[in-house]
Amino acid sequence: MGTISIYIGRLYKDFKGGILVLPSRTIAFFFCLLLLLIPLITTEPYILRVLILSSIFAIFAASWDLLSGYTGQMNFGHALFFGVAAYTSALLNLHVGLPPWLTIPLGALAAVLAGLIVGVPCLRLRGPYLALATLAFPLILTGIIFVIPGITGGELGISGIDPLSGSRLTDYYIAVILMLGLGFVMWKITASKTGLIFHAIREDEVAVRASGINTTRYKLLAFCLSGLFAGVAGGMYVHFMRIAGPSTLELMLSFQAIIWVIFGGIATIYGPIAGVFILYPFMEFLRIIPEIRMLVFATLVVLILLFMPEGLTTWVRDKIEKECPRCKLRNIATRKSCRVCRADLD
Amino acid sequence: MSYPFFEVENLTKRFGGLTAVNRVSFQIGRDEIVGLIGPNGAGKTTLLRLITGILRPDSGRVRFKGKDITGFKPWAIVDQGITGTFQITRPFRRLPIIANVMVPCLCPRALKRGEWVKKIEAKAQDALEFVGISDMALEKASSLSHGDLKRLEIAKAIATEPELLLLDEPFGGLNPAETELLAKSIRRLHKGGRFGRLHSEGPTMIIIEHKLAELMKIVDRVIVFHFGEVIADGTPEEIVKDERVIEAYIGKEVI
Ligand SMILES: Nc1ncnc2c1ncn2[C@@H]1O[C@H](COP(=O)(O)OP(=O)(O)O)[C@@H](O)[C@H]1O
Ligand SMILES: [Mg+2]
Repeated sequence: MGTISIYIGRLYKDFKGGILVLPSRTIAFFFCLLLLLIPLITTEPYILRVLILSSIFAIFAASWDLLSGYTGQMNFGHALFFGVAAYTSALLNLHVGLPPWLTIPLGALAAVLAGLIVGVPCLRLRGPYLALATLAFPLILTGIIFVIPGITGGELGISGIDPLSGSRLTDYYIAVILMLGLGFVMWKITASKTGLIFHAIREDEVAVRASGINTTRYKLLAFCLSGLFAGVAGGMYVHFMRIAGPSTLELMLSFQAIIWVIFGGIATIYGPIAGVFILYPFMEFLRIIPEIRMLVFATLVVLILLFMPEGLTTWVRDKIEKECPRCKLRNIATRKSCRVCRADLD
Repeated sequence: MSYPFFEVENLTKRFGGLTAVNRVSFQIGRDEIVGLIGPNGAGKTTLLRLITGILRPDSGRVRFKGKDITGFKPWAIVDQGITGTFQITRPFRRLPIIANVMVPCLCPRALKRGEWVKKIEAKAQDALEFVGISDMALEKASSLSHGDLKRLEIAKAIATEPELLLLDEPFGGLNPAETELLAKSIRRLHKGGRFGRLHSEGPTMIIIEHKLAELMKIVDRVIVFHFGEVIADGTPEEIVKDERVIEAYIGKEVI
């Protein structure tokens, strides 16, 4: 009895010192908690469906951020990774009979390969040339898909794919837990030494090279990692929707990823996740006014960019937290002095 | 067989019709500090960029410790032991200053040599300490003054633990007191040894500089550049008396 209360006490202390101490962490914590507990409130299939798709697209958007937000290699054809994994998973499931827990990782590996294939020619390209080249790849693949409808199903796509689990609730937990897990992994990558080099490449690639670092290798790594995570999203999408069609390669999907990331906050990983969980359900909600849906959506995005150019999460974070001028640690905005070094906060 | 520590041979670089570096050859021994001087536009920076692999020469060779390193990628050159700084500083502006120096600390050469260093951050901190800006470590690089950016540039270069260090106008924009301090640091670096977790091989140096009075105090030898060619090569005493050098430098200004 005594030991248990000690443990609970310690847990509470960790919770207080680690999570409650910063509002951004508190928000993140309760976001995760809420996602995990939603089925207790409602199991309405439509709501779960929207949240499952949000989770899948959150992985997808964060993977764009990992590549383009961090290394600055603007990828305007991110749907390529999504689509490659989608078709790979679908074909492996339909023709080889592999179950989803195998087709999704294999689809993601195919997307890594796609990352290499795109990454190599893109290494030499910069700015608008890189943007155009990346834009072209999904278009090329779409072309190929229409040329061999016998295998790919052409315009109709591949249907008759196994469901993720068979139960909406299990699907929900798979999607949410994978999203939270992979989001955490991506965030850890960006906070690592590799992440630092990604940052530096975005700032000044020549200077990174002159610092003795093989930027080619790191840029390819970024393409492959990004492909991996986007691929998981693509594979999950296919098994959830039970169809792999050319829409998984669409230009609109690539742009959507960019909009989600920039709306939420670029080069943060959590920003894109927030961006998707706000914009995707909002877009679904707007179906009640289909005529002006796109107009409302676009207006919202433009307004956010106008008033919060660094994205929503970065803006909110700067409002609720201040950086200590001395030790650069973040503090809740209401504090007068830094929680660690006691320097005046103003 | 013996070979020179560092050697460039007939190095040539053209930009369109302009020959910025024209058949340049010289050799440098292991423990020298060499000044590279010449009027603006003489091709000094271009020569440095050819050596560090940022530019590729049109013809000619660069050899380091007997090995032909012509056309190596910049990171491979650093791996061999040659690091240069940029005349126009290139900080990672939106990153903290300490992170700026952690990047070169993460290059394979630095990792191999600093295996005993537990934390990259600590080593980067010592490199900043060496150039005298460690108190600003957590600030963003964009907040640094011009002179401090020059020092950051040097901290980044020495973090790779080079055997040949190329400095492009390290005193540019520094006031006399700062120049004095930096000159002292450069001499200490050249002697070699350990500065906290930062190790110095006592690198050979090539220093491009316009502040001749300061430069002459540090260097053993001076190479003079004019229109992409070497016009003189000797001790500081010889150089200040050289007819062609006086003409290249002062002559033009008088006319
Ligand atoms: N990337 C470049 N493209 C075209 N011309 C260049 C380039 N870099 C340098 N130059 C030209 O080469 C000449 C030598 O420049 P530089 O090496 O910077 O001289 P220094 O460092 O001695 O002042 C100058 O005339 C300059 O305009
Ligand atoms: Mg110059």
